[in-house]
Amino acid sequence: MSHANASPVANGKSATSYGALFSAAALPLAVALLAIFFYLKSPVFLTLGNWISISVQIAALMTISIPFAILLMAGKVDLSVGSMVGLSGVVAGLMFPHLGIAGTVIFTLGVGLAIGLISGFLVGYIGMSPIIVTLGALTFMRGLAQWLSPTPLFGFPEAFTYIGYGQLFGLPILTWIMLAVLCAGVYVMARTPLGRHTVAIGVNERAAYLVGIRVKLTVMLLYGVVGLGAALAGLMTIARINSAPSGTLGIAVELSVLTAVLLGGIPFTGGKGSLLRVALGVWLLGMLSNGLILMNVPTEASLMITGLVLVLAAGLDVLRTRRG
Amino acid sequence: MRASRPAPSFSGMTMSAEIIRISGLRKSYGPIEVLKGVELAFNGGEVHAFIGANGAGKSTLLGCLSGAVAPTSGSIRINGEEFSRLTPRGAIQHGIGIIYQHFQVIEGLTVADNIFLGNELRRFGAVNQKAQVEQSRALLARLGSNIDPKTLLDNLSIGERQIVEIARALHLHPRVLILDEPTAALSDREMEALHEVVRQLAKQEGLAIVYVTHLLDEIAKIADVVTILRDGAIVWTRPARAAPVADIARAIAPRPEGQGGPRHKARLGNVVVSLKDYRSDFTGPVDLDLKQGEIVGLYGLLGAGRTDLLESLVGARGHAGGEFRLGGKPVRIGGPDAALAEGVALVASDRNEQSLFGELTALDNLLMPHFAGLARKRATQISLFDQMAGALNLSPRNPALAGNRFSGGNAQKLVMGRWLLPDVGTRVLLLDEPTQGVDIGAREDLYRLLFRFAENGGAVLVASSDPAEIVSISDRVLILAHGRQITLLEGDFHEDEIVQLAHQSKSGIGAPRAHAAAAE
Repeated sequence: MSHANASPVANGKSATSYGALFSAAALPLAVALLAIFFYLKSPVFLTLGNWISISVQIAALMTISIPFAILLMAGKVDLSVGSMVGLSGVVAGLMFPHLGIAGTVIFTLGVGLAIGLISGFLVGYIGMSPIIVTLGALTFMRGLAQWLSPTPLFGFPEAFTYIGYGQLFGLPILTWIMLAVLCAGVYVMARTPLGRHTVAIGVNERAAYLVGIRVKLTVMLLYGVVGLGAALAGLMTIARINSAPSGTLGIAVELSVLTAVLLGGIPFTGGKGSLLRVALGVWLLGMLSNGLILMNVPTEASLMITGLVLVLAAGLDVLRTRRG
Repeated sequence: MRASRPAPSFSGMTMSAEIIRISGLRKSYGPIEVLKGVELAFNGGEVHAFIGANGAGKSTLLGCLSGAVAPTSGSIRINGEEFSRLTPRGAIQHGIGIIYQHFQVIEGLTVADNIFLGNELRRFGAVNQKAQVEQSRALLARLGSNIDPKTLLDNLSIGERQIVEIARALHLHPRVLILDEPTAALSDREMEALHEVVRQLAKQEGLAIVYVTHLLDEIAKIADVVTILRDGAIVWTRPARAAPVADIARAIAPRPEGQGGPRHKARLGNVVVSLKDYRSDFTGPVDLDLKQGEIVGLYGLLGAGRTDLLESLVGARGHAGGEFRLGGKPVRIGGPDAALAEGVALVASDRNEQSLFGELTALDNLLMPHFAGLARKRATQISLFDQMAGALNLSPRNPALAGNRFSGGNAQKLVMGRWLLPDVGTRVLLLDEPTQGVDIGAREDLYRLLFRFAENGGAVLVASSDPAEIVSISDRVLILAHGRQITLLEGDFHEDEIVQLAHQSKSGIGAPRAHAAAAE
């Protein structure tokens, strides 16, 4: 048969490498060990109710991390997602009285998409540095949010906040949204031309261009989708907490997203990665913060631990790159 | 000064001292055996040409000698001392010096700093610049060069950089000097100068020279002994006198009997591409009518504007003026995506940098621009791959293997196969150095594919720096020099003719344009 020739190396990487095995098993192992550890400290941890509450806590983070991870696979990064969460929360809060619920949701998602597309245009078409462009957007949008609403907004329509606490078929609506985003992401990467093109750009942008892939357009679209995801996450967050404080909403979310995505094994240079692993990375972060709260660890210590996990995740990235 | 080592008493035809003996050397990567028990000796005072197709195991064998690769079994004996494996440091200490194909010298440093990089001479803890410069001067003089050790590497030509590279290896006092395709990037004159240096190192200083090359006509000029490696095993080792080029070619890639010359016999059709006074950013004016079924060669030296012209035609570089008609109608192609829609495809030079998606699978590589089009469905993808892998004679025929795990020739088949899939609608194929780093066997496969494309009405413009290749596959040859079209040869043309035209024109066409070098 035609494929028999090199079947022993069918996966591209040598299957016998213990290093590869380690880096493949590290994340699931870490999740399992952490779960056992928290369970030993607080038996509440391993209850269905607690896991559902973790899923609600990470729903917004997951909703950003999936498009963010796809963008990173193309070798690009968007550091403005935290401010986008804040801005979209504020925009929605201001618009409810004018546009109604559906109108507000559509308008807010549109703002996210548009700002994402602008960042994408600057990176893709103008060729500016993704880090600089999105750091600029990060600062700009935080300022805009605080200018639009110096004081926290609250008291959103009941039907809207239902999204934040309501359930559907036994699972919270937020969890369903998160799962839908995850499934959509997996589908895009596995089955669509956009997915192939994205990875191709991450692996070799020049070759992707010469081969006729519309690299600039693809990059712009990916930024648009990240903006959309972050705006959706903003809506999910304000529905859950029923307020939109412009100064703190979504603050430092970009760091959590980056941590989750790096934990999930997407190299900072892009080109490969699995969204299911990213989801596992998000879950690990959710477990961590949930467990720390159950253990009554003060917020300051939680912050320190979260920072350490980011550096650890980046360290794993370096180790993987060296092996590869 | 050079440490005085007992030089082997070598004179012409007498037995020369054996410096390295490789015995039963094997190397496996997983279940794949790359070296299958190599037996080989390198003698002082000899230039030993080491020849093999891509994927024959050459790099692995050189890696074993440099300490970069650990053999699975077998031994390497250096001056009577036996090793089961070498470390990079150990290899240097025991007198093995390697000049890699991709230079290790660094721009921004002086020649002397480059030569002593990593082994700086010190005085009171600081680098002893003066001593380095003096010793560099002496080393370079040994190589017959008067490059100023204090000049920045940036100011040197490729040939001069090569000399610096050799000087760098020499200051570590090697007994064996391995040169990996040293002439790949050199001009003819630089190549001859290098040959002189290499001969002298062997004959005067008694070094064993291992000379890896793809250029078969180089062997007779330089080598005393020839070894052919194929599929991880030595085919034969012979004195160079007893190794005519035809024998060598046959040993590298045994050709099935009854195959004629490669020149194709396609019937010419309508004009597909018409260039009138066409100018890209640096190249032109070019006038050319390219017909269906025709293969036009594009020949010129490095920097002549070949790449610039080809990339301009697909819109990857600027179009400065003149007319580009496609099938009779004027076109303005904005980029490779627009070119694809018009049926114009470029296979860029420098495969790894510009065409291959190294970490992606063979299937992804073959189908990459077509996932939104003809390769949308998974089942279609598999059948397209199987069909094309057969036509390409791809090896291994594994859709899941990563692109960078294929040999140069097979990787090239993947990136060229993209445009030759059925129903892609490629009308014009632009190829830039399509057989760079491709072994003879795979070349034949690529040519066959090209000829079939032409027979089916495709038009080909192929740039190559190998005049023999140009002559053997082209119906006509467009010669560029310094960005200008020198001539368009038709009918009967020969290698020496096109080489001469490309060279001669240097002074013949007026002042060289400074930016022409940036065009490649």
